[in-house]
Amino acid sequence: MPNLHPVAPASPVAPATAPRPVALELRDLTTVFPGDDGPVTVIDGVSLAVRAGGTLAVVGESGSGKSMTFLSALGLVAAPGRVRRGEVRIDGADILHQPPERLRRLRGAVISMIFQDPLTALNPVFTIGEQIVEVLRAHQRIGRSAARARAIELLARVQIPDPARRVDDYPHQLSGGQRQRVLIAMAIALSPKILIADEPTTALDVTVQAQILDLLADLQAETGMALVLITHDLGLVARYADDVAVMYAGRLVETGSMEEVFTRPRHPYTRALFRSIPRLDGPVDEELPAIEGQPPNVARLPPGCAFEPRCTVGRGRADCCTRRPLPLAGDRSGHRSACFHEDLPDRKEAIR
Amino acid sequence: MDRLLRQLSQLAITVFGIVTVTFFLVRMIPGDPAQYMLGDYATEEALATLRAQLGLDQPVYVQYGLYVLRAVTGDFGSSVVTGRPALEEILFSLPDSAILAFAGLAVAVAIGIPLGILTAERQGSWSDMLIMIVALFGISFPVFWLGLASVLLFSQELKWFPALGASSGGGFLTHLHHLVLPAGVLGISVAAYITRLTRSAMLEVLGQDCIRVARAMGVPERRVVWRLALKNALVPILAIVGVTFAWSLGSAILIEVVFSRPGIGSMILKAVSARDYQLVQAGVLVLAVAVVLVNSLLDLAYGLVDPRLSTR
Repeated sequence: MPNLHPVAPASPVAPATAPRPVALELRDLTTVFPGDDGPVTVIDGVSLAVRAGGTLAVVGESGSGKSMTFLSALGLVAAPGRVRRGEVRIDGADILHQPPERLRRLRGAVISMIFQDPLTALNPVFTIGEQIVEVLRAHQRIGRSAARARAIELLARVQIPDPARRVDDYPHQLSGGQRQRVLIAMAIALSPKILIADEPTTALDVTVQAQILDLLADLQAETGMALVLITHDLGLVARYADDVAVMYAGRLVETGSMEEVFTRPRHPYTRALFRSIPRLDGPVDEELPAIEGQPPNVARLPPGCAFEPRCTVGRGRADCCTRRPLPLAGDRSGHRSACFHEDLPDRKEAIR
Repeated sequence: MDRLLRQLSQLAITVFGIVTVTFFLVRMIPGDPAQYMLGDYATEEALATLRAQLGLDQPVYVQYGLYVLRAVTGDFGSSVVTGRPALEEILFSLPDSAILAFAGLAVAVAIGIPLGILTAERQGSWSDMLIMIVALFGISFPVFWLGLASVLLFSQELKWFPALGASSGGGFLTHLHHLVLPAGVLGISVAAYITRLTRSAMLEVLGQDCIRVARAMGVPERRVVWRLALKNALVPILAIVGVTFAWSLGSAILIEVVFSRPGIGSMILKAVSARDYQLVQAGVLVLAVAVVLVNSLLDLAYGLVDPRLSTR
């Protein structure tokens, strides 16, 4: 396997001496939206786990359901969409099937989320201090001045210079990177066990990207929180993730440790993703191999493998799973994929 | 300060435009004021003398020039019917109309904004649909119809409120008693409009990223809607109130006629049928300036609500 990723892995998977407990687990999470011809399944049976202190990267094209998976997990699917089945377990207890008020108390306090575009994620008509205080007071009985002092502390913690003065600034007075820092401050205000970062640096320029991710990594090292990094930047995955989950058309197609998936990608879609990364050491005028065809319309998926119409390995092959999607399966290392066109002969027998 | 100056110069330009438009609009009303004043049997000489006296024998552009020159000094001519200065007549009856318009607007804001927020919060529910249908009826029914219907019901049948007048004598309570029905009718018809626009302003804000973030951080839904989202929606809502102020002034004119209340509305109506150019001009001008002034004040208020607008 040639070196596909431009950035070398900096944090190898921790030795499996004492496996840390699972902080967040999704089981068979399925989300539907009503469509013209009946419900459209936008998230289809996603099962994932993140360990405390670990980082899971979720990758896939736009519209593959990466963000929707975790909005579903937080009970934030906008109506008329809804979670049809599945469980979201934190410390082993399902959080999804409980009164909205209890779920509300968990959001921000135990499981928190930051979003792609810091320019629109902050409320333009409140100072950043007021917004942090709003989060604190949503979960704690805390006086105004104590909350304000805590807000300044949090701003200092995310390395906003001169926090005592900046606390009274409005979002438009801050740069994009600083706004993302403020959002991180809000997200970690109550020391959550799990932080979901939904493309936290996509809207920022490259130099700021690294600062923000390093900040997240530092906070993670300090607090031992689990981090879910939703991204389409495979360079970031290589640098920060312990585990990787690849999504396509609302389904998982491959999961495993970062090293496993990067060195031995199994699903044809994952392989195609890796092929479409520009290589710094490649010829300058080389044309990047794009994935052929159109990204799938989740309202009109084929009955079987969603990638089959674009797949260079299996397209048109009689032995492809065109009748129903293949569940994830794999070896003992935890590296699993949803395609049998790989060196797993025993599995092929089992399915057919 | 800079902002205030810009606002004032805009105001001046707008007022000039209004002066011009009202001048020409009034002259498009068919009919000859001299003929109207002297009756059908007036002699040609008498008519010519009166026209010369009123300046109506001059070409229109000369009349316009003179009108603008005098207007700058605050002279809008005299009512041809009463002989008193037109502006004075209008300003004399302004308080009656202003009280009705503001009372109506207050009712409309007090009903419309909370209902707009509630329906946005419950978008798609049966209560949302019911309120929206009622609001649609409120917008569709002409205000004079609502006025007549309410007079029939509350004055004729139930005898709760007086049907006519504004109680020129009498104390504050009598005055208020006379105001309830016209202001209520005006308020309800305007409230329908404010409800619908507040609802759509709130829906837009509630779909924004920053609201999703607040929810993701566990901020209670009540706080999200009534504090975080509402302050964002306040600028469009203020703009709506500005627009509806113009509308409630316009409706106040109709209401004044239906309830036989004194005010600019009934005065302009009489002036139009008497071809009292000066009075109509002054009346329309005062109403238009009131609308522009209120909207300028609201423009300044935006800066208090949205920090991005105040730093300029």
